[in-house]
Amino acid sequence: MFRLLRTTSFQLTLLYMLLFAVAVGVLGLYLFRTTLGAVDDQIDNTIDKDMEVLAEIFAEKGEKTLLEELDDRSKWRDGGLYMLVRAPSGALLAGNLTALPPEALTADEDFFEFSYERDRVDEAGAVVGVESRRGRGKIRSFSTRTDDDAPFLVLTARDSSDRDLLSARLRTVIVQTAIAVVMTGLIVGLLFSRTLLRRVDAVNRTARAIRGGDLTRRIRITGGGGELENLAVNLNAMLDQIERLMTGMKEVSDNIAHDLRSPLTRIRNRLAEALDADDAVRDAALAAAQAEAERMISTFNALLSIARIESGEGAGVMEPIDVNSVVEEMAELYEPAAQDAGFHLSVKNKPAHPVQGSRALISQAVANLLDNALKYAEGGERIILSVGETPEGAVSLSVADDGPGVPDKDRDHVLQRYVRLEASRTTPGSGLGLSLVSAIARAHGARLYLKNALKSGRGLRVALVFPPAEAA
Amino acid sequence: MTGAFLYGIASLMRILLIEDDDEAAAFIAKGLRDAGHVVDHALDGETGHGMAAAGDYDAYVIDRMLPKMNGVDVLKRRRDEGDETPALFLSALGEVDDRVTGFQAGGDDYLVKPYAFSELLARVESLGKRRNAAPTAVTTRYAVADLEIDVLTRTVRRASQKIDLQPREFRLLEYLMRHAGQVVTRTMLLENVWEYHFDPQTNVIDVHISRLRSKIDKGFDRPLLKTIRGAGYTISDDD
Repeated sequence: MFRLLRTTSFQLTLLYMLLFAVAVGVLGLYLFRTTLGAVDDQIDNTIDKDMEVLAEIFAEKGEKTLLEELDDRSKWRDGGLYMLVRAPSGALLAGNLTALPPEALTADEDFFEFSYERDRVDEAGAVVGVESRRGRGKIRSFSTRTDDDAPFLVLTARDSSDRDLLSARLRTVIVQTAIAVVMTGLIVGLLFSRTLLRRVDAVNRTARAIRGGDLTRRIRITGGGGELENLAVNLNAMLDQIERLMTGMKEVSDNIAHDLRSPLTRIRNRLAEALDADDAVRDAALAAAQAEAERMISTFNALLSIARIESGEGAGVMEPIDVNSVVEEMAELYEPAAQDAGFHLSVKNKPAHPVQGSRALISQAVANLLDNALKYAEGGERIILSVGETPEGAVSLSVADDGPGVPDKDRDHVLQRYVRLEASRTTPGSGLGLSLVSAIARAHGARLYLKNALKSGRGLRVALVFPPAEAA
Repeated sequence: MTGAFLYGIASLMRILLIEDDDEAAAFIAKGLRDAGHVVDHALDGETGHGMAAAGDYDAYVIDRMLPKMNGVDVLKRRRDEGDETPALFLSALGEVDDRVTGFQAGGDDYLVKPYAFSELLARVESLGKRRNAAPTAVTTRYAVADLEIDVLTRTVRRASQKIDLQPREFRLLEYLMRHAGQVVTRTMLLENVWEYHFDPQTNVIDVHISRLRSKIDKGFDRPLLKTIRGAGYTISDDD
């Protein structure tokens, strides 16, 4: 719960809520002022008008009519309060106020507010008690033109208890609204933060698990979309890449251990043999050890290349490559060697779109495939290097021979590292050639196919199919 | 490998080796000395830079990863100070970008570990030749014994007899002639004539050489294009 209060989203919600509450407060205050102001104005106007009417009655019709008028009005119970007092004596002549409020004496010409008591009346009109109420009014002295002494004091007022009630009610409404706003904000903020916190917690839990060594963990994707989802997808993709790199690294070290231990042992044995032997035997042993070391170096280089390509580091800059020209150049490089080995190397170059890739790597892949054809297509006569486009616009590059081919059951097998089919145990090589081609294919998003080259089931055709280039 | 040691046909060179691995350095230094060169050795980048600044060398062999100052920075500083001595980088980093970094720092050649010593020797000796060549005039004609090539007209003559070569064969011969008297390895040929940076498993280069040999040496008493066992090839007048 306390953690929830410290979340960024909750603090943001709190800030918004505070701003909103202030806005509601200001609005309420404005509403309060204008509403009460209007009521006050109305009361004051009524009082002024009453006073004017009474002054007119007194001036035109005299004291008696004023007295009757006031008596009359006093009975209306419409909130009007009146009092007619004979000036010097203070005797109450008419009105529904029983005593002159003390505030009236100091008010001069201004409005004043006062408390008074009046009978509480039930629905039938019977008096049931006394209640204290508030009023607001003015007091004037009335005099005739002939008489300079002011003979009368007239008090005109309106009951203002209702206005006070309104004021209290308004205040309550505003305060309640403000509280409601704050509470709603708090609850929404807490809910919002909790949802967000849950999703971030999921990410954190995954991160902790991965730090703890479980590289297979991934952030759960809810499928709801949105930027958090996007973040999770990206983080997962990053984790995939890290896992791939880690696995690759582990494989490389396993492979190095596997592949270098036996030649190292052989070298040690040869050297031991050389230590106490005559010159001829020693020379032979040293030469054998040296040859073994050379092979180790080339295996080691091939392993490193594969690891680098697979980590995406060795691919270098990917740029549009004209595969047709790569094939031409490689054919030119290998043609003499092919002829020497008894093959006829030919090129079937159909125009193809450029492929996004690394020229060095594609060349190397072609070189490895040609090396393989020269080494393993025993008894074959032809090697065909071809480039073309599939109907879908993918560029296909293939090397085909008419040698013995690869049995169906061994197809997947030969793509793995170090696999050299029994028949080829005697020829030199690290067994890494096709793995390197496979790694290069993956680095280019290309697919690698092994097929029979001939209908008779003989021959091997290895094809690299590059994905269609994005419309540029 | 002994073949390469005995084949000390290049002129004597003063070589500065900057390499922090003592054992590797001892091996390289011994090999270069056996081939007739003078070798000084520095164990870290700073010392190496100081020695390079103080001495007069024909070539630098610099390991990329060195204590105190890395190899690339050592050479950059030498180049900034106007030192044009040819340099070869030794590195475990062999990708295109790594090579580019090496060449941008002013390196003339780049050899990726692990390598065969014969490869290193051939490349170092090829660097020395580069320095000795007159830097101003661009040579367009080369001759070894009675074999002559003209790079501008792309003609080859042996004993005044014109020989027709394919464009690639010409470039192969041109490279060998430019490095006449030096051992040129298969990898150097693949890098410089074909511009590829990988090791072919088969004998592709050897076959190209034997084709070239059949065109320039066949029918003449003295073969000029020779195979150096365990190292590579050379074109020379010597026997």
